[in-house]
Amino acid sequence: MSDDKDVTLTPEVRRLHEGMADVWANPRGLAALTVVSHTSVGLRFMVTGAIFFLIGGLLAMLIRTQLAFPGNDFMSHEIYNQVFTMHGTVMMFLFAIPILEGLAIYLIPKMIGARDLVCPRLSAFGYFCYLFGGIILVSSLLFEMAPSSGWFMYTPLSSGDYSPGRGSDFWLLGITFVEISALSAGVELVVSILRTRTEGMALHKMPLFAWYILAMALMIVVGFPPLILGSILLELERAAGMPFFDVAGGGDPVLWAHLFWLFGHPEVYIIFLPGAGIVSTLIPVFARRPIVGYGWVVAAIVIMGFVSFGLWVHHMFTLGIPQLALAFFSAASMLVAIPTGIQIFVWLATLWLGRPVMSLPMLWVAGFLVIFVLGGLTGVMLALVPFNWQVHDTHFVVAHMHYVLVGGMLFPLIAGLYYWLPLISGRMPSEQLGRWSFWLLFLGFNTTFLVMHWTGLLGMRRRVYTYDSAMGWDIYNLISSVGGFTMSAGVALLILDVALHFRFGRRAPQNPWNAGGLEWAMPKPPTPYNFVSLPRLETRHPLWEVPELPRTITEGRHGLNTIDHGRRETWGSDPLTGKPREVVHLPTNSWWPFLAALTLAVVCISLLIKIYLLAAVATLVAAVLLLRWSWENGAHPKAAPDATVAPGQPPLHSRTLNGPGVWCMSVSHLANGSFYLSLLFGWFYLWTVAPEWQMPASSPLSLPLLAGAGLVLTLGAAWLARLVRRLQRGSDAGLGGGMYLTAGLGALQAMLLGVAIWQAPLAPSETAHDATLLVALIYVLIHALLGAVLCLLQGLRVGYGYVGAEAPMEPVVVLRLWSYNLVVYWSLFAAIWLLPVLLGGTS
Amino acid sequence: MSILDTAGSAARQQFWVWWAMLAVAVAVSLGVYALWFYTFCRREPASRTPREERRIMLRWVLGGGVALPVVSIVALLVFAAPTGRGMLPFPEGEAERIEVIGHQWWWEVRYPGEGEEREVVTANRLVMPAGEPVDFHLTSDDVIHAFWIPRLGGKRDMVPGRDSIVRLEADSPGVFGAQCAEYCGAQHTHMLLHVEALERDAFDAWLAERRSSPELQPGFDQAREAFGEHCAACHTVAGFPDELVVDDLEHDIRGPDLSDVGSRPSLGAGVLPMEEGAIAYWLQHHQTLKPGNRMPPHHHIDTETLHEIGAWLETLEP
Amino acid sequence: MKRLLRLTHPIHLVSGVTLWGIWFVAIYAGLSVACSVAPPDPERDMLTGINIGVGLATLFTVLLLLWLAWASVVAGRRAEPRRERFFAYVSAGIFLFSAGGTLFVGYPIVFLPPCL
Repeated sequence: MSDDKDVTLTPEVRRLHEGMADVWANPRGLAALTVVSHTSVGLRFMVTGAIFFLIGGLLAMLIRTQLAFPGNDFMSHEIYNQVFTMHGTVMMFLFAIPILEGLAIYLIPKMIGARDLVCPRLSAFGYFCYLFGGIILVSSLLFEMAPSSGWFMYTPLSSGDYSPGRGSDFWLLGITFVEISALSAGVELVVSILRTRTEGMALHKMPLFAWYILAMALMIVVGFPPLILGSILLELERAAGMPFFDVAGGGDPVLWAHLFWLFGHPEVYIIFLPGAGIVSTLIPVFARRPIVGYGWVVAAIVIMGFVSFGLWVHHMFTLGIPQLALAFFSAASMLVAIPTGIQIFVWLATLWLGRPVMSLPMLWVAGFLVIFVLGGLTGVMLALVPFNWQVHDTHFVVAHMHYVLVGGMLFPLIAGLYYWLPLISGRMPSEQLGRWSFWLLFLGFNTTFLVMHWTGLLGMRRRVYTYDSAMGWDIYNLISSVGGFTMSAGVALLILDVALHFRFGRRAPQNPWNAGGLEWAMPKPPTPYNFVSLPRLETRHPLWEVPELPRTITEGRHGLNTIDHGRRETWGSDPLTGKPREVVHLPTNSWWPFLAALTLAVVCISLLIKIYLLAAVATLVAAVLLLRWSWENGAHPKAAPDATVAPGQPPLHSRTLNGPGVWCMSVSHLANGSFYLSLLFGWFYLWTVAPEWQMPASSPLSLPLLAGAGLVLTLGAAWLARLVRRLQRGSDAGLGGGMYLTAGLGALQAMLLGVAIWQAPLAPSETAHDATLLVALIYVLIHALLGAVLCLLQGLRVGYGYVGAEAPMEPVVVLRLWSYNLVVYWSLFAAIWLLPVLLGGTS
Repeated sequence: MSILDTAGSAARQQFWVWWAMLAVAVAVSLGVYALWFYTFCRREPASRTPREERRIMLRWVLGGGVALPVVSIVALLVFAAPTGRGMLPFPEGEAERIEVIGHQWWWEVRYPGEGEEREVVTANRLVMPAGEPVDFHLTSDDVIHAFWIPRLGGKRDMVPGRDSIVRLEADSPGVFGAQCAEYCGAQHTHMLLHVEALERDAFDAWLAERRSSPELQPGFDQAREAFGEHCAACHTVAGFPDELVVDDLEHDIRGPDLSDVGSRPSLGAGVLPMEEGAIAYWLQHHQTLKPGNRMPPHHHIDTETLHEIGAWLETLEP
Repeated sequence: MKRLLRLTHPIHLVSGVTLWGIWFVAIYAGLSVACSVAPPDPERDMLTGINIGVGLATLFTVLLLLWLAWASVVAGRRAEPRRERFFAYVSAGIFLFSAGGTLFVGYPIVFLPPCL
């Protein structure tokens, strides 16, 4: 707290600070595993991501060593194939996404004036999933069992016949595990940004960075499930012989390509948007004026977020899809140039109208601009189908995507690192070392990859472990390798600078860059509770317009400035206006997230080594742990010992009907819905496109059982809706009994479905048709069971008094699940029973 | 292998498209860099009213952020995108049909016969007529590969279970490299195809030689017997007597057809140039020359036999 | 619920691109299904029912989006709180982009046959 001298703390305020520190304390030692604070979890994400970056970078250096000379035998083809597969996988899944999520987790509450994210335990859980998944995946390198089918894992190369080892399993299971963390971060970032902004921060007043992260988080929520589905299907094909991607069994390898790129293309924008968000945050600060065209940037973000889902086929231009369909995707890919152009020119206009100063973070932003503009331009070239046919899968594409990813993500990330380092450590980095590091990285990068465009045009393919001298590629490859090593020297200097600054850095003043953002109003390094009092804000640049904010916040002059209730609190605000609607009481440190993630790691490992019994037991244990975790929620005495709030304050969120929990459930269902739609897409895709697909003449599923299960589900959902309506009117009469009844109906539905699956003559290892049916039915079965169990728990909670007219939120959350189940069940019924019967089979 | 050393119409179009796009890209990027640089260097102008600021901002965003990309992409879609039409197999029936099948890690090339004509099968070498369009029918026997002759035009994936057609044309006779462009496993690197374009007459003659009924020259009895025992389960030689074939394999992986192997320019899909003794050398060292390839090692066969087999195979020419 | 229908609500930031997305999925899926069920004779080049159908869907969507863009501008002029005007104008821009994007993406029907 550098500016503490100006702050006069009365004994009362001092007690407030001490009370906050006590309630928000992070334990040390082994108990540090229970920490849930977003500051700690965000830092953990970023440090772990940085370590994976170094591993990925090391792999890149191995690649450049191998390719430095023609006919090099530094690595065998087996090792080389593992190395390039892991380089892509580690950089994309274990570095780029998690480190940006970590940055968002760390910064968002500080920027929007909240004390933590809405689901702190979920952040901790996500982190452990990421850590364990990452370790499992990278450990495959040590066992020399790493995946070697490329980071995109095209089938049939990655399937059992052509990759019999464990490599593909490591990839599929490890990545799915890591993606749990991405999804959980995505869900809670969305809800936190929409629902926990400080008083008065209306939607159009929030920092642009929050808009970027909102878009990124929503894209994660919608974009990751297709890959999760694809991974599950491919793992089922490998482990149980279900031929989803096997032509002979009625599958199609192109389905994998679709599912992978449905995720894979949005992924590029998921990585770019936060990078652009950093740039949009830094430029106004160093132009010393507010950003111009805020609305234009918001429009560009929305457009990018959506259009990026319409581009996935541009990775598949050579797969033999009709040219007209390709042309649609080609045109859509070109459209992205417009929002990108808007952002670049908004940045330029801001600099033009401001009084820009050069500084270390700005130097990295300049590097971003130079590199990213080139990457964007080659991107437009690649969007052109006939040109793409020439350069696809050559080093031209390798160069292009490194320009986009390193330019669009790494340079802004380092700019952001230098910019926010004083906030993290309270010290300033070294200007000298930082500049050296920049020039080494910048020149090294361009040396490596500018030349590589040319290598690609000369015909050098991607993913070759060596090449012949007669091709004339020697000198260009050598130049690229030299550039690559220069880059690693730059990274080494960067690490040195950051490490040294913790010890030798000059103490940072309160607002070292003279920025306008709220995060600079907090103590440095940040306290676990961020702000001792939450200010009311009416401006996008609080510190420029209210410079005394750091002092008044510390003096506890703003909102939620009591602690005697012993709760961790932050505002739950209206998503539009930022008017406080509830007081959100946040959960505290806990072992549950760590234990649940650890159990899931056991599931993952036992699936890898094919001990399925252990996997089943561990899955059960994990389910119990997760439910046990959910038990300490809402009005449970451990969560909220005392529900009274100060006079004039809104109620605790668990005492309302529309708290953040309801929003979390809705956003989770966005992810779940994306998963389900991907499954439906798979079904219809195979039906219409797969060359050997066989639709039996009559459906193997029993109509009475399916319809019966659906009716029971409908009845249960209707009953639950009735209970919730009654709660809305303030009455909890018959709530407990009604919950048990609904649980019973859910169980009945599950039973009917189970029987339907059991007695259907399905041969899932023979045909893709039966395998897809089975997966779809198991999907609804799991949801039926979940619906039943949650209602059962609700019944118990009503009995304990945790749920009722006073605390009515949880039934609303459970109702969302049931409504979702209802829609999914009947639409699935139409897709897998009704339509085939109506259209007739082709036995 | 260079895309810029064009020898066919499809590749030539993309050659011009590339240089045009590059010119625009260089101009745009230099312009943006110059503006960026200038904002830092210029002297501070007089202060502006919010209204003026707004007007300036709109000028930048509408001019640079909207108009510039819109004009560029419209030009690209209207003028450059239709260049892909040339590679459509259309109109039908006007082009020579050649089938290419990808295998891990070699190429099978087939010239289907019309009516009674015998189908010609060869491997790792593709001969095509020059100066006229050729329809390549592409598929794969195992994983996804991609067929790419950089000097003639764009690539196309070879997907198991599908037949995709790409039309290419070589301007004049010549030799071109082709390579598998989609990563297909261990020896993706060594999956090269030798492409020769011949004048129509020469092409017809080349094909006719191979269409005629096969007749094995006499001699090399020992080699043939050994071939039948060790090789013939996977490798076909046209006219090879069935009674000599010992098929005790459990897998159905096939090797290249060897009917005209003596006339091919290289071995192992571009690994070893064909010269006297090359086949025997390949038979002994193929797992070091192209590690991981599907042909099992031949340690159990004595060197002399391998030499005999090699010598015999080198005589196989139409 | 009624609140959501007003063009000044921020939900309409995404409705333009959502309509674009629905149209995009519809023409891509429609094209795939049409080509697998009833592929037209290649000799007809781009003069097929499929191209015409896609073209009509495209024009309809463009008109709808243009109308929405115009309606948003009108709604924004009338809106009082600054916030509402902000969202109406930004939505109008996105509607306009979506209209242009629809036309742009639909354009290739004039030079390519549908199923080759």
